[in-house]
Amino acid sequence: MATTQAAAEAALPSEPGAPIGGGVEREFTVKARSQRQQIVRRFVRNKVGMTGLVVFVLLLAFGFLGPLLYTTDYATQNSGAQSVPPGSQGYPLGSDAIGRDLLAGLMQGVQRSMLIVLLFVVIALPLGLLVGALAGYFGRWVDSVLMRFVDLILTVPLLVVLIVVASNFPSSRTPLGVGIILGLFGWLDLARIVRSQFLSLREKEYVEAAHALGASNSRIIFKHLIPNALGSLIVWTTLAAATAIILEASLTYLGFGVNGANQTSLGRLVSDGVQATTTRPWLFYFPGITLLVIVLSINLIGDGIRDAFDPSNRRVRA
Amino acid sequence: MFFFTIRRVIASVFVLLASSFLVFALCAASFDPLSKYYTQNPRPPESFFENLREQLGLNDNFFVRYWNWLSGALTGNFGETINGTPVSEQLGGRLLVTGRMILLAIIIAVVLAVVVGVVGAVRQYKPSDYAFTFLAYLLIALPTFWFAAILKEFVAGGVNDVFGKQVLFTIGEETPGLSLYASGWELWSDRLGHLVLPTVSLALLSFAAWSRFQRSAMLDVLGSDYMRLARAKGLPYRRVVMKHGLRNALIPLTTVVALGIGTLFGGAVITEQVFVWHGMGEYLIQNGIGQNDINVVLGWLLVSAVFVVVFNLVADVLYAVLDPRIRLS
Repeated sequence: MATTQAAAEAALPSEPGAPIGGGVEREFTVKARSQRQQIVRRFVRNKVGMTGLVVFVLLLAFGFLGPLLYTTDYATQNSGAQSVPPGSQGYPLGSDAIGRDLLAGLMQGVQRSMLIVLLFVVIALPLGLLVGALAGYFGRWVDSVLMRFVDLILTVPLLVVLIVVASNFPSSRTPLGVGIILGLFGWLDLARIVRSQFLSLREKEYVEAAHALGASNSRIIFKHLIPNALGSLIVWTTLAAATAIILEASLTYLGFGVNGANQTSLGRLVSDGVQATTTRPWLFYFPGITLLVIVLSINLIGDGIRDAFDPSNRRVRA
Repeated sequence: MFFFTIRRVIASVFVLLASSFLVFALCAASFDPLSKYYTQNPRPPESFFENLREQLGLNDNFFVRYWNWLSGALTGNFGETINGTPVSEQLGGRLLVTGRMILLAIIIAVVLAVVVGVVGAVRQYKPSDYAFTFLAYLLIALPTFWFAAILKEFVAGGVNDVFGKQVLFTIGEETPGLSLYASGWELWSDRLGHLVLPTVSLALLSFAAWSRFQRSAMLDVLGSDYMRLARAKGLPYRRVVMKHGLRNALIPLTTVVALGIGTLFGGAVITEQVFVWHGMGEYLIQNGIGQNDINVVLGWLLVSAVFVVVFNLVADVLYAVLDPRIRLS
C-alpha cells in the first residue's frame, strides 16, 4: 500500500511547475509494486516457506526425473534377491519380499501420490468453490440448504465416509480411483471457508459499485470476489494436498485405498512397510520418511503462502 | 442461558434425525445383506432369496425401511447382524472399549495443547517455542499408523526394559481372558497398561494441530489492549496471563476441539487396527464392511454422529459460558 502511494507521488513533479518526467534528478526513486509482487516477495523472503518449496521441488525431481537416471523398473521381480538390505546386490535402498527395487518403488510412489493429489485438487477445488460461493453470495435459503447439507455430512468422520464409499467400488483400488473418491468428499471444509470469505466480501463497497454499474452475479463472483478470496484458496489447496496424502495412506493401510495388485503409491509402500518394522527396517523407514518429508514440505509451503498473504498471521489452520 | 441450551438441544435432535437419514441412504445404497449368498456354490434357489428379502424387509419402500430401522434405533434396538445377534449389545461393549481410549486421548490432547500453546505464545521465538513448533509440524505430517508403529517399536520396548517386566502392551485392550477371573485393581491396571500407547498415539496427532491453534489464539490475546491495561494497573504478570489471557484464548479452542471429535473417531479406527483392539473400529471394518452387514455400519455411524452432535452442543454451551459477550438470542 505504502509503496504504491509513494510511487504515485513520485510520478508527480518534485517541484511545482517543473515538467513531468523532464529528467529531474530525484533523491528517492520508488518503484511501484503490485499486490501480487509484494506477496511473492514476502514468500521468497520467508526462509521456512522457501525451504519447503526447495525440498518439495527436489522431491518432485526425484519422482519424475529420477526414473530417467535410475532405469530399474519397480515392477521387475527378482526371486534371487528377496528382502536384501540396502546397498547389496545392486539395490541402493534394498528390495522387498518379492524382490522389487525399493528406490524405483519410491520414485513411482512419489509420482502416483502426486497424481492422487492432482486429482483431489482438480475435483475438490471447483466443487468447494462452487458450493461455498453460492452459499456465501446468495445467502438466505441457498446458504441454509447448502451449509446444512455440509454440516450433515460432517457429522460422520470423513475417513469412515471414504471407507464406506470405497468399499462399494472394489475396482477403485488404484491411485486414479482413490484420487477421485478423495476429491468427491474433500471439499466440505473448503466450502465453509469460501462461504465465510464471501459473506464478508460481498458487503464491501466495490461489490456494491459493481452492482450499481450493472455487473451480473457471475461477473461479480468471478471478477471481484474470487480474486479477493484467492489467498484462502491457495492456502487451503496446499494444506489440503498434504492432508490428502495422509488420508490416502490411512485408507490404504485399512485396505480401502491403493490396494490393487501391482498398484503403487507412497501410502501403499508405507503401509506395507509397517509390517516389517524390525525384520526389514529399510522397508519401514525409507517410505515413511519420504512421506513425512513430502507432507512436511507441502505444509511449510502452505504456511509460507499464508504468511505472505496475511502478514499479521491471524489465520491459523485448525 | 437456559432457553439457549434448550433451543440448541432441540436443534441438535433435528440435526441427528437428518443425519440418520443421510447415513441410512448411504448404507442402503452400499450394502446388500444377501451378498454372502450370491457367491455360494451351489447358488441357493431364487425362492430362498425371495424369502430372505421378505423376511428382512428388503422389498419394502426405502422410506418404510428407514422408518422401521429408525423406530428400532430410537428404542435402543439397532437390529440384528447377519449372523442373527443383536447389534446393540455388541456395540455397547465395544463403545466402552473405544470410548475410554477416545475420552482419555481428548483429555490428554487438550491439556497438552493448552499448556504447550500458552508456553509457546508466552515464550515466542525462544528455543522452547521453536522446539514445540518443530515437534508439532512433525506430528502433523505423520500418518497415524506409522507413528503408532514407532511407538510400539521403541517406546514400548524401552519402557518395558526399564521396569524389567511388561508394563506397556502393544496388542489388544486387555490380556485375553483376564476379565473372566480378575476384577478390580488387577484388571484395571492391566487395561491401563494396554491403554497407554494407543491413547498417546491418538492424542499426540490431535494435540499437534490444537497446540498450534492455541498458540496463535494466545498470541492474539497477548497483543490486545486490555492485557496491557491489566499490567499497567499493577496486576502480577502470571495473573494477567492466566486470568485475562488464557480464559479468552480458550474460546476458539472449544470449537476446534468439538469439530475434531469426528476426526478422532476416524483416527481411532486406525489406532485400533494397529494395536489390534477389539473395539468400534474393528467392529466397523471387519463385522460391518467386511461382511456387508448394513445394521452394524448403521449402528456405528449413528453412534459416531451422536458423539459429534453432542460435542458440538457442548462446545456451543461452553462457548456461551466462557464468553459472556456471545448473544444468546
